[in-house]
Order: sequence, then C-alpha cells, then structure tokens
Amino acid sequence: MYSVARTTCLRLSAPVIPHSSSLVSRGVCSSAQRLQEAAESSASTAPAKTSREFSVFPPLPGQESLLRWGGKKYEELPIAHIKATYNNTHIQVTDHLGQYMVRTSCGTEGFKNVKKGTPVAAQTAGISAAAKALVKGVSFVRVVVKGLGPGRMSSIKGLTMGGLEVVSITDNTPIPHNGCRPRKARRM
Amino acid sequence: MANHLKFVARTVMVQNGNVDTAYKTLNRILTTDGIVDEAKRRRYYEKPCRRRQRENYEACRRIYSMQMGEKISFLMRRNRQDPWAGC
Repeated sequence: MYSVARTTCLRLSAPVIPHSSSLVSRGVCSSAQRLQEAAESSASTAPAKTSREFSVFPPLPGQESLLRWGGKKYEELPIAHIKATYNNTHIQVTDHLGQYMVRTSCGTEGFKNVKKGTPVAAQTAGISAAAKALVKGVSFVRVVVKGLGPGRMSSIKGLTMGGLEVVSITDNTPIPHNGCRPRKARRM
Repeated sequence: MANHLKFVARTVMVQNGNVDTAYKTLNRILTTDGIVDEAKRRRYYEKPCRRRQRENYEACRRIYSMQMGEKISFLMRRNRQDPWAGC
C-alpha cells in the first residue's frame, strides 16, 4: 500500500483543502479519513451547497458522505472499465456488483487493424458506449482506466460527448511487483 | 489491484464536469509517483546490466540538477543588504 500512502500524502500536501496544513502529512490512510471528516463536517455546516469545499479524494467506503449522484451513493454508481492497449481500446460498462451491461470496442465500431489503435476510434467507441448505456438507463458513471494507450484520454471524452456524466476517474494500470517477465526489448 | 480496496487510491473526482482538469490532475499525481514511467519501462524487459546503467545515470543527473538549481537560486537572490551602503 506504499503507493496509496504516497498518493494520499501528496494529495494532503496539495493546497486543495486549506486546513490540511495543520495536519502532519504522515501519509497514513486514517489521517486522510480524519481530514475528510473535518472537511465534510465543515462543508455540511455551510449554509449553501455551492460553498461546499470540493475534495479531490473519493468518498472512502468506511465513511458517511453526503454526496449523491442521481440519488445513488458513490459505492452504488455503475463503473465504466476502459482498457486502453497500444493496439485497441475496449470499453465495458458494468454496475457496481460487476454485472455486465454494455460492451464496445474499436473493433465493434468497424475499424480494422491499425486504425483501432487511434484516439479517434476510441472516441467513437466511447460515444457508442454512452448511447447504449443511456438506453439502459445509466446517467452517472465512474471511470476506471487500465493501460497506457492512445485511447486513454479520448475515450473518456467520448463518454462525456455521448451524454454520460463522469463522476470520478480511477487509474487501474496493472503494475506488477516484479511478477511475470515481459517480452524482450526491441532492437530497432 | 484485486487485493486492495477499490476506488481508494489513484482516484480523482470530477468537479463541474471538467473531465480535462480531472484527467490532468490524475496524470500529474501518477507522474510524480512514478507510475507512468514504471508502466512504460515494464512493457519490455530491462536486463539487469541496463538497469544498473540507468539507475547510475539517473542518480548522477539528479545530483547535477539539484546542485545547479541551488546555484541558480543563490545567484538570483534579491533580498540582501546593500553592499554599497554609505556611498
């Protein structure tokens, strides 16, 4: 959980929430929870909703957050998985239990071979995925991106252009802690 | 990531529909954490000899750039007492 601690530590040092400077950024998850509780309590006592402080953190699962999207809590929003490889981009929308709802990719859009690994193809895949998801009744979605490919940014853009509301972006790129040995280096 | 809690780390909330700013924030966090570099490096295998050469090079470069930064900030000081006071 070192990268989690480091990520939370870096976010604590960012000047997003003004009274974070009083907390020592020990980079422990509990300190992030306490900070968010303080932010939430200060935000809930504010009179108008627009003056609530926006935190870059997501609502952690052990906490009561007052944010709702379309009447749903953060944990119950459907998830759009985007797998952006170097040759293709797959988009799959599932609900929070993991049940599959919509699946599109650059290949299903009619692109072939080298054109699948382009940002334009990813954008069209995103638009069509958003259209199909709207038919199923999905409006707010949290995005999980996997991989560093050309379609990483443009597929999220395609989702927003198609009409879905993106609530949060997570990066789930698989980083092995020295697991399988990758293929040999290319010599060009 | 199946063994860790999901949606806790490497997550950025989108404010007012600014997906671009949220994506840029996420990218900045990932690069400062070194995750983007590591993902690129692990695409192909890096032999131990190449890895040692790279670490050496990065250490030397880090030392050089930090010392150069200190030198530049020393030379660009503005708030010091007037050296020609009294003339």
